[in-house]
Amino acid sequence: MRRSLILAGLAVLAVPGLALAADAPAGGSLVGPYSVVVAGFAMAFAAGLCALGQGKAVASAVDAMARQPGAAARIQTAMIIGLALIESLAIYVLVVAMILLFVQPIK
Amino acid sequence: MDVIEHPPIFRLPGIPDHVTYTWLVMIILAGLAFAASRNVALVPRGLQNFFEVVLEQFQQLIDDVIGPEGRRYLPLIATLGLFILTGNLLSLVPGMNGPTTNLNTTAACALVVFFSYHYIGVRTQGALTYLKHFTGPVPLALKPLMFVIEIISHLARPLSLTLRLFGNMVGGHILLAIIFFLMGLQGLIGWALSGSAIGAVVGGIGGLVMIVFTVGFLYPLKILVSFLQAFIFVMLTMLYIAGAIEEAEHHGGEHHPAPH
Repeated sequence: MRRSLILAGLAVLAVPGLALAADAPAGGSLVGPYSVVVAGFAMAFAAGLCALGQGKAVASAVDAMARQPGAAARIQTAMIIGLALIESLAIYVLVVAMILLFVQPIK
Repeated sequence: MDVIEHPPIFRLPGIPDHVTYTWLVMIILAGLAFAASRNVALVPRGLQNFFEVVLEQFQQLIDDVIGPEGRRYLPLIATLGLFILTGNLLSLVPGMNGPTTNLNTTAACALVVFFSYHYIGVRTQGALTYLKHFTGPVPLALKPLMFVIEIISHLARPLSLTLRLFGNMVGGHILLAIIFFLMGLQGLIGWALSGSAIGAVVGGIGGLVMIVFTVGFLYPLKILVSFLQAFIFVMLTMLYIAGAIEEAEHHGGEHHPAPH
């Protein structure tokens, strides 16, 4: 949950982007400013859905651990691996958002 | 990226940062290994004891995931794990650029894993058998389709390993850099020191809250993420190796007729 909070906090970066997109840019297209907005929204979606998926994973893991306390160590290992794999999907979106914000391939 | 980048403490001229700090990680690990393996005693003490515990943990993981015949891959897995862990932790030291915050280093580790597990699979089973097992237990008509899908999924593995490690490390860094930017001499603390009364109160309290937040919550989280990402990388490597060599037993099981 903490990790998704941080990722959602990064999505607050979209707010200045909305201000930027409101003016007509002196250059050419609106793709550049709107890519900033899109980056913010994409990160917010990814963080929210990642949180839902991880919540489901942790809930099942905790249920299983309560049902069989003897297997708790193995269940915890599987839960940690599952959480990291789910989180990596949100990290892919973070990488795309960083490319849009910092590398700015399309101005 | 210039507003949030700061140069590390030392840079070698003409050599990129991630290469320099990869060498630093290599020097650290080689130095520790050398120091731990002098005067090897039967009852280990000190540094040798510590590294025996670490390697024993790796070996238990390998036994759990691959099985006892995976012990020969302990050097590969432990080297990857310790290199990635040290690289991650080095990026937390102020003044140093960690090697794993650069896409090149993580891509190199992922490519090593990719070629290793295919090589291990081919060497354990033979090239044709290994390729035949890509398709799985589907009827003959669907085998070409499954083969293509398997190839795509195998190609996605090093990509996901790279991006997962890179994204986790760099995400934490960017967050920390933005907080320092908001809180530093151009932000809250600069406002606090600028002389105005409102600045002193708001900037002071805000700066203090951010310092407590960063030191008390973000840094421990980054340490946790460093360990976790190294563990995940190593775990996935072991799962890929297990997937590459497990077909041997599966195939061997089919060839033994069940005793009646």
